[in-house]
Amino acid sequence: MATYALRRLIQMIPLLLVISLLVYSLTALQPGSPVDQLTFGNSNITPEDIARLKAAYGLDQPWYTRYFFWLGHAIRGDFGYSQDYSIPAAQFVFQQRMPNTLLLTVPALILSTLIAVPLGIFSAVRQYSIPDYVLTFFSFVVFSAPVFWVGAMALYFVAVYLPTATGGALSLPPGGLGSPDLPLDAGFWATTLDKLHYLILPLSILMLREIAVTLRFMRASMLEVMNQDFIRTARAKGLPSRIVLFKHALRNAVVPIITLLGLSIPGLFGGAVITERVFSWPGMGNAIIDALISKDFNVVMVSLMLLALLTVVFQLITDLVYAVVDPRIRYS
Amino acid sequence: MKKTLAITAFLLGTALAGPANNSLVIGTSQEPPNIYDPWNTNNLAITSEINGYMGAALIGLDDNGDPYADIATRVPSLSNGDYKVVKNAAGDVVRNSVTYTIRKEAKWSDGTPIKIADFQFWLKLVNDDRVPVPDRTPWDRAKITTTDADTFTITYDPPYLFADQTSPGFAPQHVMGAAWNAFDAKTKNEKDAKVTNEEWKKFISSFTTSRNLPKVVAGPFKPTAWRSGNSLTMTRNTNYWNKPKGGEDKYVQTVVYRFIPNTNTLKVNILSGQLDALSAVGPTFDQGVDLQRNERGKFKTYFVPGAVWEHIDVNTRGQKAKDLDMDDPRMRQALLLSIDRDALTKALFQGKQAVSNSFVNPISKLYKKDVRDYNANVAQAKALFTQLGWTAGSDGILQKGGKKLSLNFGTTAGNSTRERVQQILQAQWKAVGVQVNIQNYPSSVFFGPDFLSKGADGKWDLAMYAWTGNPIFEEGNLFKGSGVPTAANGYSGQNNSGWVNAEYDRLHKQAQTEFNLTDRIKLFDRMQTIWNTEVPALPLYYRVNVYTKVPGLVNYTFSAYTLYPSWNASSIGWASRGAVEEYKQK
Repeated sequence: MATYALRRLIQMIPLLLVISLLVYSLTALQPGSPVDQLTFGNSNITPEDIARLKAAYGLDQPWYTRYFFWLGHAIRGDFGYSQDYSIPAAQFVFQQRMPNTLLLTVPALILSTLIAVPLGIFSAVRQYSIPDYVLTFFSFVVFSAPVFWVGAMALYFVAVYLPTATGGALSLPPGGLGSPDLPLDAGFWATTLDKLHYLILPLSILMLREIAVTLRFMRASMLEVMNQDFIRTARAKGLPSRIVLFKHALRNAVVPIITLLGLSIPGLFGGAVITERVFSWPGMGNAIIDALISKDFNVVMVSLMLLALLTVVFQLITDLVYAVVDPRIRYS
Repeated sequence: MKKTLAITAFLLGTALAGPANNSLVIGTSQEPPNIYDPWNTNNLAITSEINGYMGAALIGLDDNGDPYADIATRVPSLSNGDYKVVKNAAGDVVRNSVTYTIRKEAKWSDGTPIKIADFQFWLKLVNDDRVPVPDRTPWDRAKITTTDADTFTITYDPPYLFADQTSPGFAPQHVMGAAWNAFDAKTKNEKDAKVTNEEWKKFISSFTTSRNLPKVVAGPFKPTAWRSGNSLTMTRNTNYWNKPKGGEDKYVQTVVYRFIPNTNTLKVNILSGQLDALSAVGPTFDQGVDLQRNERGKFKTYFVPGAVWEHIDVNTRGQKAKDLDMDDPRMRQALLLSIDRDALTKALFQGKQAVSNSFVNPISKLYKKDVRDYNANVAQAKALFTQLGWTAGSDGILQKGGKKLSLNFGTTAGNSTRERVQQILQAQWKAVGVQVNIQNYPSSVFFGPDFLSKGADGKWDLAMYAWTGNPIFEEGNLFKGSGVPTAANGYSGQNNSGWVNAEYDRLHKQAQTEFNLTDRIKLFDRMQTIWNTEVPALPLYYRVNVYTKVPGLVNYTFSAYTLYPSWNASSIGWASRGAVEEYKQK
């Protein structure tokens, strides 16, 4: 398995280079440039000004020349400055946006998995019972409802309706990440509690959707396994239901969930774009979208290459975990 | 104890905004890339607005467009001798100059006096090729000479038309000077402009970002905390010279900007009482109307006439334009007479965005009030179409020589207001036999290098977008012949219609060197008459800016002259805390 893992790791290098080339070229070939934003509408701009600005931003060079310039620096750990935030792109991504995203997405994934897996098992075991119908209906509704709409409604409910209805006794902040006037020296616990206060609503909305997705997967996977011959055999030989369920069925049914979770992990770093947007949560999703719109190349490259790296790494980890949970899978 | 109470209040969800602690919480949909960059190397509106709280200037303009002295001792004028215009023997102005005296009490926030060296430092850098300012007008022709420790003269040679309406910037040399020298030493022999620009970013970002807040500022507020993606907090700068009436303790002490990119979420924040006011960079017009319906006495919504002019450029270049007579003024007049702009602004904007008939801002001194108003007149429009040889075909669409009058009408995709305007205009044009096909593009394509400026290639027929019509610095540049984007000028002009009129160009050139306002008004009268007769663009309306503020907040106002409520930052306050109202929102 070690050889297999090493081979996969080596294969990642050309793969990541191809991805970086694709991402850079697609971003660079989009119409418009940062210089357009600086010059549009300014009647004093001369052709010389445009040429000067293009040279300063490196846009006087073809995209492939710029790509190799970027790659040469990136290999040395220099990802350049963010044009939109005027700080090093890596600092912006790793220090200012990623921690916020992880604060939102990691608890959402853990909590939703802890809730959805048992519910999925329960729903499968009690197939066609009233609780199963309720859970299936719930997951269909949540899965189908657009996040931007659910988020906006929730925001209005907790920030406008609830305080009015309860005379201000109950309310949650309408988006953002922390009270703007919390003293800078408020201390770790006060700051954390303050952030948690702002986290409740976006986290709940994000969890709802993830619960719905995982629940449906878990239920379907369990139902498929429960109808297999080896489960019938286990039951026929008189094993207790608990053993059949947890030792025989669950261990097999959990393989697709591992795939789901393994592929969800890179997504944790990429942020939840719509949730972040609706709740003004300054995370990676917002950052990537804004950077793509404004052609902030360095932020786009750092963010998307990070996601690409995480995707291939976790793909490998997922494959390796298969071998651990499923004895039939062996890598040679 | 106070801190514990404050923290407890946060955790219970009660915002300490408003008069309770003499603070002001403002919501905006944009976050600036940096703040207080003396050379404005990014030109976003939100940056300008926020800089207004921290910045000072020699002279400024108030809501009425009248100049006032800030850190200069008086407003320069021809009558007081501080503004001088030098003419040659032929009577042509060859240069002009403005003399300023810096107030003795003008200081940086660290208490260091603001000196002439700060202006010289700023001027040196703005003209340095390594500094990526978008343009250098008029500073590339300006020179500073000192009279004494506090008095200096800035001379523009060739002359600058608006020399008395503007003033040079300044930067804290005592704070930035050493870092600049290091940048200078490192990049003076650098040939690669991109490498130099990266070094520039390092230099400027050490004074202007969330990680490195400006070390000193000159205006009424100084930045104290910038939580990236969330908020920016500024507190009162006690070293700012201009104290508002009754003492600065009676006015807002802390200003907090909350960055909420989603304008619907911004709206919820207003409705929930989390914000005291909105920035000038905030909700859309539709959201403003919705907010107005939900005020319930908690806040008031304002629609402030702005400087942004919505119009439809008519492409007069290329073979298709010729085939369809778009290069003939009668066709453009007919198109304008076919549409009912009054009904359109009533239906979509409750009449709050006034119909325009000129490219000049209606509040500008140069605006000509009595140009033709082109009220909808279908009969006249039809007569003009007939005069040009267009007759209705069996399908009702006008045709001539086997060609249908079918036009591609583009705007920025996703702009719901513009898309609704398109729908209405499409229906109105259809009624007179003009077929209009809507073809919208993302902003990056529409404003990109291969669309608007390529009218000669027939990429569009009608294009709806906006220009800023500055009521002070109006030069008539939008429609000058030399502004037609061509390969020769690197597609840098703004005259996308491609309209060229010899008389307009002659008057425009004359107006650029006409320093007498009365005479310049006469020139602009004629220029607007020509433009209004030829209508190279179909004027639609001037946009309004929407914002809200809660009752009791005073001096939080702006106009098309001042553009942002921060112009008067020092005097913003709560009536209940003793702030005196000097300016009312018009």
